[in-house]
Amino acid sequence: MAIFSNDLVLELPDIKKIEFIKINKNYLKVILINLFLVFSPLYIGLILLHQLVFTKEINEFIIPIYSVFTAVFGFVIWYILLSFTKRKYALREKDISYKSGLLIRQITTVPFSRIQHVETDEKPISRIFGLASLSIYTAGDSSDDLVIKGITKKKALKIKEFITTKINE
Amino acid sequence: MSNSFDFSNFSRQSPKGVLVIYINLIYKVIRVSWLLLFLLVKDFSKVSKIGANYIYLGLALLLLFLLARAYLIYKNFQFKIANEHFILKQGILKKTNTSIPFHRIQNINFKQNIIQQIIGVFEVSIETAGSKDTEIAIKALPLLKAEALKELVSKSTEFNLKEIIGTDKKPLVRIGLKELLKVSLTENHLQNLVLFLAIVIGFFQQIEQIIDSLGRTEALDGLIVESKNVLSVSFFFVLIVLIFLTIIALLSSFVKVFLVHFNLTAYLKDDSFEINQGLFTKKSIVLKKQKIQNITISTNPLKRLIGISFITFKQALSGKVNVKKDKLIRLVGCKIAQVEIIKASLFNVTELEKGEKIYPNSYYKRRIFAFTFLFTISIYLVLYLIFLHVEILYAAILVFPIILFLINKKVKKRFYKITDSMLLVGSGLLETHLTYLEIFKVQNIKMKQTLFQKRSNVADIIFQTASGKIFIPCVPFEDAIKIYNHTLYKVENTKTSWM
Repeated sequence: MAIFSNDLVLELPDIKKIEFIKINKNYLKVILINLFLVFSPLYIGLILLHQLVFTKEINEFIIPIYSVFTAVFGFVIWYILLSFTKRKYALREKDISYKSGLLIRQITTVPFSRIQHVETDEKPISRIFGLASLSIYTAGDSSDDLVIKGITKKKALKIKEFITTKINE
Repeated sequence: MSNSFDFSNFSRQSPKGVLVIYINLIYKVIRVSWLLLFLLVKDFSKVSKIGANYIYLGLALLLLFLLARAYLIYKNFQFKIANEHFILKQGILKKTNTSIPFHRIQNINFKQNIIQQIIGVFEVSIETAGSKDTEIAIKALPLLKAEALKELVSKSTEFNLKEIIGTDKKPLVRIGLKELLKVSLTENHLQNLVLFLAIVIGFFQQIEQIIDSLGRTEALDGLIVESKNVLSVSFFFVLIVLIFLTIIALLSSFVKVFLVHFNLTAYLKDDSFEINQGLFTKKSIVLKKQKIQNITISTNPLKRLIGISFITFKQALSGKVNVKKDKLIRLVGCKIAQVEIIKASLFNVTELEKGEKIYPNSYYKRRIFAFTFLFTISIYLVLYLIFLHVEILYAAILVFPIILFLINKKVKKRFYKITDSMLLVGSGLLETHLTYLEIFKVQNIKMKQTLFQKRSNVADIIFQTASGKIFIPCVPFEDAIKIYNHTLYKVENTKTSWM
């Protein structure tokens, strides 16, 4: 066993002083396309309801209904645009961190020594822009470990490689 | 104990295992088809003689088939130890080969249900922290062989197990009948009642299906409506129901405690605990200290009165936390001195005891207040809109003081203590839970801050351990950053393996 030592650490590595890197800008397009794919069927559905199903009494309120729907859509886009710049990650010598969130700010750090495995995957739309996401799993309830979405595939593989060598050290 | 058993070649379990597997298979079939059986027995008199013969024949064939299956399962179930790995071959048609490295084995448990007790064999289960599929259960091994296997596996994982059964070592905790009675009296009866009711409701749904199929629902409905009219106004009815529920709650606590914890004995070894308990299914668990992720010491007002508490040992889980409830090992009815011994044997707590309790920022109280009041008010609104009686609001006179009292309790019990290597988190509403965690066992750490929290300059910290989350709410931001950095530093600079 090594000799016990517990030197006074004057400067802990400080999470506040790390330089975080923003994720790839193209990922914003991916999010927006995904959002569009969700909202446009809803919109079409609403139009169909308006034309075919709704009775006259409901159709009197059709303008408010449409405007509420559009407002929700607009709000979601506005929120995504604002919160997108908050998605950042940082790689240090011994750990990886990710922070996000506008209303609820979150930061997660996973030390390399606790990583069980690393995964990269590309969703169809992300692939068009050459983007990938990197998921990092630790032991235990692995539902919300660290996931970095929207970095270039090259970078994702590079980070994966980096972490793998670090784990095996 | 010298190893007189040879594990280097493939060997089968004890031949008695066929019986154990057979009965287990029959039990499974009955569990799936008990409704069918019930109907069959009920209408048996109506079946013609020839039909009855066919039924007998079918049953006999089924039993024979199961026997053959049990034999084949037994025949194809082989295990050996080679190269620091436990290797298992099983499967009749679909052959499975499992190999577990020793250092991944989390614990080896001995279990005995009634049949295994009668024929004198042990079920040995080998647990890992990995996926459920690698869980191995050897249904029937004679005691000596089981012991030998355990010893062999344990040795390589660098903990020496002395002979367990028949030792004259004094147990650390032994809960006799009288103590068990005390424990069950002071259980959380409300929780047990809910559990019991959940089972009963599930059971009744099945019964209802039967009654449905028998076409007697109308008569029953009539009965219920009739009795409703008579009794709904009666105050005594409510009283009787209350008394009835209390008795059920007490009884279910008793049954639960006695079934699981009967004859509880716990031994403290150099680097492991051994816990034996159970009435019908005897369980013997060896818990390696190193594999314990964190412990929680809990008590409630009643238990505190007679000076006992229970300890929950948490080990590494995989996947969703709820999958393996039985991986939480509970030691009930510990006296204060015993708790101290267990604590001291696991961690270095002296520094922690001296430390100062740090309570959450006042924002925490405000947040709980805001949430609970929004919740209760919305419930009242909904109730009012449904029933349209102002009288509903009268109950608020009683409800609000209770809520206030509970919130105060909850806030008071929330605290944390942190030293260089240990973290202690207190929580609870009526019960009090103290969770001890060695900081280097943290898997990853998260910090959360809502906009409102930012205004008050506080943040939540969430420690993710291999056995679940530990939550510290509303720490002043500066302190939160310090804890965050310190935890990372500890995790990254500790060489000890976390499991």
